[in-house]
Amino acid sequence: MSASPVLETPSDHALAAAYRAGDERAAAELVRRHAPAVGRFLYSSGAGRDEIEDLVQEALFRAFRRLDGWRGEASFRSWLFVIASNVLRDEYRRRKGRRMLSLEDRDLPDRADPHADLAAREAEERLRRGLATLPRLQREVFLLRTQQGSDYREIAAALGTTPGAARVHYHHAVKRLKELVR
Amino acid sequence: MNRCTRLSERMPEVARHRATWAPDEAAHLAECADCRGEWELTLLARRLEAHAPTITEPSKLVTTLHQRLAEDRMARQRARRAWSFAGAAAVAAAILVAVTFDRPAEPTPATRPIAGAEALVPLPELEGLGAAQLDTLLRSIDRPSTGSSGLDASTLGEHEDGELEQLLATWEG
Repeated sequence: MSASPVLETPSDHALAAAYRAGDERAAAELVRRHAPAVGRFLYSSGAGRDEIEDLVQEALFRAFRRLDGWRGEASFRSWLFVIASNVLRDEYRRRKGRRMLSLEDRDLPDRADPHADLAAREAEERLRRGLATLPRLQREVFLLRTQQGSDYREIAAALGTTPGAARVHYHHAVKRLKELVR
Repeated sequence: MNRCTRLSERMPEVARHRATWAPDEAAHLAECADCRGEWELTLLARRLEAHAPTITEPSKLVTTLHQRLAEDRMARQRARRAWSFAGAAAVAAAILVAVTFDRPAEPTPATRPIAGAEALVPLPELEGLGAAQLDTLLRSIDRPSTGSSGLDASTLGEHEDGELEQLLATWEG
């Protein structure tokens, strides 16, 4: 009895190489894989809910336009996050410094303990606002570490810094956010 | 690496349910306010991510992305062609300028009549002349040229061929 062939999921490297060789389906797969995470990253960084799709679109456009810039030291997703962060900064500048953060009008919770849920959502919103006030490197290191689970070497490669510096940025971010979220 | 640092290193993994706290780590978390604060922040960041709006239609994103990238490729090709053309034009202009200014000066024909402006150029043989001689020379230059030929140019058509031949012969010596 012969073993059935195992269909391996192509790596981001393989997909990027396929796209460079002209395979547009590879780009579609990379978008499907990473666009939602980029959206969540942008939202956590302070982007308004209704602006996320446009910002993700712009980040993906910039990324695929210069895909050769991704050399694989950091993961494709981390690299995308840095580009998304640049898009957010540019949008912020375009608005001449007006913050993008919008007040969230989420539906009231319908769970067993609506008060606890509301308090949790308020804490999330405080964190989001706090993140938006952090220096860019601190914010990016914190989000890459807590939301993506990246280690300091990976973060350093994505942000063009050293693992030691990334660790310091993380601890500064934690210290500041503890004060802001309290 | 102290215990707080070790816990900090493991927080993302535990928050993503890829690991769990060992009993001694859990005990440390319970008693260390700094570590507990960082852990709560990590969990809060995870919840924030979980509640973030999702991209509803990735396929729409892909379609728009392909369109934008195709337009961008075309725009870049057009720009490259324009730059090539501009470069070629600049090279052609540079060659033209080089050829024009490097050409050796044409020798002045000896028979060329001296124009009014050129007649003002100081000549070395004038240096030795006195004021009276120079006045005489100036008067001879200022005298109307038609007067010297004894023939008005406007009346050339009224003369016979023979007369004109004779006139030309006197001019040419």
